[in-house]
Amino acid sequence: MRIERINKAKTPIVKIDKRLNKFQGQVLFPEKLEAANKVLTKIALPKLPDNKG
Amino acid sequence: MKYPKYDYVAESQLMHYEFTSLGPKGEIKKIVEYSETSVANVYNLAFGDYDEKAGGINDKIVTNNGDSQKVLATVASTVYAFTGRYPDSWIYATGSTEVRTRLYRMGLTNNLTEIAEDFYIYGLKNEQWEEFVVGEDYEAFLVTRKIRNFVI
Repeated sequence: MRIERINKAKTPIVKIDKRLNKFQGQVLFPEKLEAANKVLTKIALPKLPDNKG
Repeated sequence: MKYPKYDYVAESQLMHYEFTSLGPKGEIKKIVEYSETSVANVYNLAFGDYDEKAGGINDKIVTNNGDSQKVLATVASTVYAFTGRYPDSWIYATGSTEVRTRLYRMGLTNNLTEIAEDFYIYGLKNEQWEEFVVGEDYEAFLVTRKIRNFVI
């Protein structure tokens, strides 16, 4: 990617730290996930506009 | 984002991020997590203080490190990073308390112009998703990329 495109991109370039790989597959906030699942299984996702990308 | 944010690092799947909050209470490690939910392509966004010694998280503690705007701007930046890797995803977020959910709403409102350029934003009210409206109270939030087939 050209430098000017990198500078304009809103998607950040993320530094990877292998130290954090210990979290892979883990759920650190199980209560919040459970609460989210309760809502999401009960209430359907909104319909996106037809012109989505 | 128009607010300053902290530098952060992530694990290789971009599901977990870490940054350090700096303020009157000192240095506080924060973890941001995206978890798969029971609905395909929908991920729960959560973040909280990470106690490295105990190896645990606290998402209810009120840190009062005087940098909540900066913390929220940092978390918002991870949404860009996460959806850059997983462009079809939906992200669900709610606060661990009503006060915190209002804080998220303020964070969305403060950055709405920019976020709305790139994301559809919905708020949960009376068991229905509606398009996010500034000033309304919501129980939870849902965002997804407007343009999904972009190239970084």
